[in-house]
Amino acid sequence: MSDLVVDGLVAGYGDVRVLHGVSFTVRQGEVCAILGPNGAGKTTLLRALSGMVRTRGTATLGGTELAGRSPDTVARLGVAHVPEGRGTFMPLTVEDNLRLGAFVRRGRAEVEADLERIFTYFPVLKTRLKQEAGSLSGGEQQMLALGRALMLRPRLLLLDEPSLGLAPLVTRELFRIVQAINAEEQTTVVVVEQNAHLALGIAQQAHVLETGRIVLSGTAEDIRADEQVAQSYLGYRV
Amino acid sequence: MTESTKTDEKTSAPPAPVRTSAVARWRWGALAVLLVLAVYAPFQLAPFYVFQLTMVLVYAVALLGLNLLVGHAGQISLGHGAFFAIGAYTAAILMEREALPYPLTLPVAAAVAFLIGLGLGVPAMRLRGLYLALVTLAIAIFLVPLLKRFEELTGGSMGLTLAKPQPPAWTGLAEDQWLYFIALIVAVGAFLLVASLLRSRVGRALHAVRDNEIAAEVMGVRLSFYKTLAFAWSAMLAGVAGSVYTWVIGFVSPDSFTVNLSINLLAGIVVGGLGSLSGPVLGGLFVMFVPSISQDINDAAPGVIFGLLIIAVMYVAPTGLAGLAGRLIKKIPRKKE
Repeated sequence: MSDLVVDGLVAGYGDVRVLHGVSFTVRQGEVCAILGPNGAGKTTLLRALSGMVRTRGTATLGGTELAGRSPDTVARLGVAHVPEGRGTFMPLTVEDNLRLGAFVRRGRAEVEADLERIFTYFPVLKTRLKQEAGSLSGGEQQMLALGRALMLRPRLLLLDEPSLGLAPLVTRELFRIVQAINAEEQTTVVVVEQNAHLALGIAQQAHVLETGRIVLSGTAEDIRADEQVAQSYLGYRV
Repeated sequence: MTESTKTDEKTSAPPAPVRTSAVARWRWGALAVLLVLAVYAPFQLAPFYVFQLTMVLVYAVALLGLNLLVGHAGQISLGHGAFFAIGAYTAAILMEREALPYPLTLPVAAAVAFLIGLGLGVPAMRLRGLYLALVTLAIAIFLVPLLKRFEELTGGSMGLTLAKPQPPAWTGLAEDQWLYFIALIVAVGAFLLVASLLRSRVGRALHAVRDNEIAAEVMGVRLSFYKTLAFAWSAMLAGVAGSVYTWVIGFVSPDSFTVNLSINLLAGIVVGGLGSLSGPVLGGLFVMFVPSISQDINDAAPGVIFGLLIIAVMYVAPTGLAGLAGRLIKKIPRKKE
């Protein structure tokens, strides 16, 4: 019932238009991968969904309009955004970072319970609770960013390049956790990723974005089988 | 919650909590000693030194506000002195023209400064960095001619002279001691207020705005709302400090609140330590004593010494004197547990 329906989404910065009418649908509980080269508008797409750039067109989550709302309203509607580069609050403790994830939520007891639940996905965070977040490794910071996003109890999780700057092994672990979260919490996920291979591994649907337009859509298998994609993003099989 | 888990597991407990609790113990201990000294000092010192300490406390309250804005919310203000002046003049005008008892002028001064801060903060907080610095600087610049212009109310260039609050007979205190204790109570109250504010959800929101605007925004923190609120609160604390200033000095004039005051305050909090709780007190000592001591050397010395000290602090201790003290405390070896 909480499908994400994006229709004719146009977005940009000032006079520069980045997205030229993007349309796609993600069914509730599914993982959708957005692939594409640098500058295609992947990050702008996520920013448009969470109200950080001006938009035209519509994007509804379970029938509620997201496009054109302010970021805090979108957050209140249950959209959690893990920004590019993780957005760690470096000088704050791991605990304060996590609690900030639940900023728009009321109900202390529930938040405390969610904190414990997040430690089951990321046990490492529990051991670092009082530590400055800036002292964590890149992988740990990405886990913190994910855990923090989960503190919102999101219906929709937007992930911007979670693999950025991480070792392959850490990235794989991270995607395994995203998959587990998606399976257990029924959270809809839109993941923007350069590492097409990993993203397609956990996604049901995928779209290829080039210069602000979707040039290819399909199931993860279809996209993986597409020769063009294989050449451009997967780096094997010619 | 963490206490119980710590006792349960005797193996590899993380070192971080132990360290922070040791620092916290140091901090509370130091605070208690400081408070005892603060109560003891006015009975031991000559009236002039008591007056100087009183002014340190007044500046500390103003810096508490500036620290909230600059150190905790990550914004800049070169116009903090203007709100200090607004508080001082509000108190003076109410005492002089309306014959209001002096304790009542403090909440009014706080409210006036808060509202003006809110009014100026709404447009100003849409700007950032250099532009915000320039706009707040403009506030500080236009205040002095404004005060001189409305002569019937402000006394113009001559200023207003007031009778200082007299100690009630039952206290047995001298005037300077009484004023000192008033300033101390206001300072402790403001300190507790800010400390509890920072521990709350609002404090976390301010830190989030300071540390990463994009992440704060997607977490649902309304940037403009919290920036404006921080600006208004900082103005309010400056107003409170200003009203106590009026009681202590018994005189206000436009030339006491030039742009220099704003710059001295900003320098004070940067040297004292941005974002730390002891920063405002150390900054208050700086604002009070550095200009007067360097004045003895040469008339032009205060500016030079101010500038050099700021550069030195930026190089040696970017977290200010408070950060330097914190680093030294952490270096003190502790007994193995």
